[in-house]
Amino acid sequence: MHGRGGQGAVTASRIIATAAYEEGTYSQAIPMYGTERRGAPLTAFVRLDDVRVRERELVHTPDISIVLDPLIAKQQAVVDNLKPGGLVILNTAHKPEEVELGGDFKVATIDATTIALETLGRPITNTAILGAFAKITGLLKLESIEKAILKYFPGRLGEMNIAAVRRSYEEASDPIQAVVTKAPAEKVDIHVGGYGVLKDVSSWRLLTPEIDVDTCIGCKNCWIFCPETAIEWDEDTMKPSIRYNACKGCGLCANECPVDAIEMVRVEA
Amino acid sequence: MSERITRAQIPLSEMTITPGSACQGCGAALAARLAFKALGPNVIRHGIPCCPDSVTKTPRTGTVFEGGGALLTGTSRGLKAIGRDDVKAVAFYGDGGTYDIGFQGLSAAAERNEDVLVLTKDNEAYMNTGNQRSSATPKYSMTSTTPVGPKSRGKPRHKKNVPFIFAAHYVPYVATASVGFPEDLIAKVTYAKDLKGFRMIIIQAPCPVGWRYDPAKTIEVARSGVQTGLWPLYEIEDGQNFKLNYKPKELKPVSEYLSPQRRFRHMTEDETAEIQEDTTTKWDTLTRADELGRLII
Repeated sequence: MHGRGGQGAVTASRIIATAAYEEGTYSQAIPMYGTERRGAPLTAFVRLDDVRVRERELVHTPDISIVLDPLIAKQQAVVDNLKPGGLVILNTAHKPEEVELGGDFKVATIDATTIALETLGRPITNTAILGAFAKITGLLKLESIEKAILKYFPGRLGEMNIAAVRRSYEEASDPIQAVVTKAPAEKVDIHVGGYGVLKDVSSWRLLTPEIDVDTCIGCKNCWIFCPETAIEWDEDTMKPSIRYNACKGCGLCANECPVDAIEMVRVEA
Repeated sequence: MSERITRAQIPLSEMTITPGSACQGCGAALAARLAFKALGPNVIRHGIPCCPDSVTKTPRTGTVFEGGGALLTGTSRGLKAIGRDDVKAVAFYGDGGTYDIGFQGLSAAAERNEDVLVLTKDNEAYMNTGNQRSSATPKYSMTSTTPVGPKSRGKPRHKKNVPFIFAAHYVPYVATASVGFPEDLIAKVTYAKDLKGFRMIIIQAPCPVGWRYDPAKTIEVARSGVQTGLWPLYEIEDGQNFKLNYKPKELKPVSEYLSPQRRFRHMTEDETAEIQEDTTTKWDTLTRADELGRLII
């Protein structure tokens, strides 16, 4: 299960494992330990079996890959280690036919970000993909997932999450065989673990800042408050510009702009 | 005491290499960026285990939590031995390394008046390991080790007043700063850089993940912390001379700082009133000390 910090991949793996346990299946959920940051790509794993799961290792060749993030869903790495004939469930607004990942596997898509934004009001896509998981794989019943969700999110939050699961269950399409059969030659590693300097964090963003230079009054607020130095200041024109590969999309600049010259736009997935 | 600067005086050159591995909207990464921008290149940075904030172009060395003060002492004495007065030993520690685990080493270094500059990014809990309480955590704050439930209302005790504890070592310079006031922060770091002896600046660094607010509001939260009087900006020289740097005519109500943060969302009106009263009392003491220009310890 691939996602990014804050989207609830770890919680989703636990919900699946708990739901399977409710149905009498042996289950196990483990997150990959690293430097989990909000916004940073991370992976969590689930094992389901009829016999007791004794393995304690990470899953290296999964049967099913679930991708919680629309930008990670574009990267070949999410399907690279799948068993032949495996299944990938992507969070993307595209149809399964339009997915550009190559290999021998089945593809299913669900627009979980939109579902999450409309039912929860926040882009936490973990529960909004679980309904699709239940329907497409048939491994779990919807009721047991709902039961497991109430265990993790009691009260109103649980009700909202259940609404997201139900909607995703209804909207999920049947999986099709992948259209592209060959994997692209160029590959990007999705894991940016460890401390230090990263190359590119543009895939961390859900919202991208866009500057309207005509409205800008040159107050330097965006420049001075950017934690990642993603905003460059041009002293001659007194205008900012954005280094998009350093921007994590926190929205600080847009929030601090006194004249609203910066707008946060949703990334096209 | 530091001189006021304007935004146009802030150097354009950056000392940080980005993008780093901090979370979105990280206050500590911003604190590192602003502080090292003011310090320039002739700095040896010291680190102890803490959140990964901005990586800087300066040389860096690190040790265990408890060794922070000792490592700094070694560097500063070594620099003195080889006659490099121009290079500064600078620590960039978290609140755990300053308030709790690293406290004894730093206290000893302060007592010996070692020639070091200690910068603390205070995000008010052990955020790197998942929001465990530290002695920097404010009262009623919900953390993973002080959860809210039928028998617990979050952290039961007040935040430790570390700036005053270090001021009581009669060191040359102790100050508080906030990422919400970058001019003030940079002025203080620039001033402290060229002083001799033990200098300490504690920087408020809001943490969107642990304090539980939208990452876009980091500066709003930092600023309201100062405007409500919960994070006063001041300088103390030689343990006696005192100056408040931010003096509004009237403080904003503390609820303005507490309500956007979901770590305080369980607080009742009585509890908020208690924090308000406590803040007002402390603020009165500070303004009186500011009028006198000195602390009466």
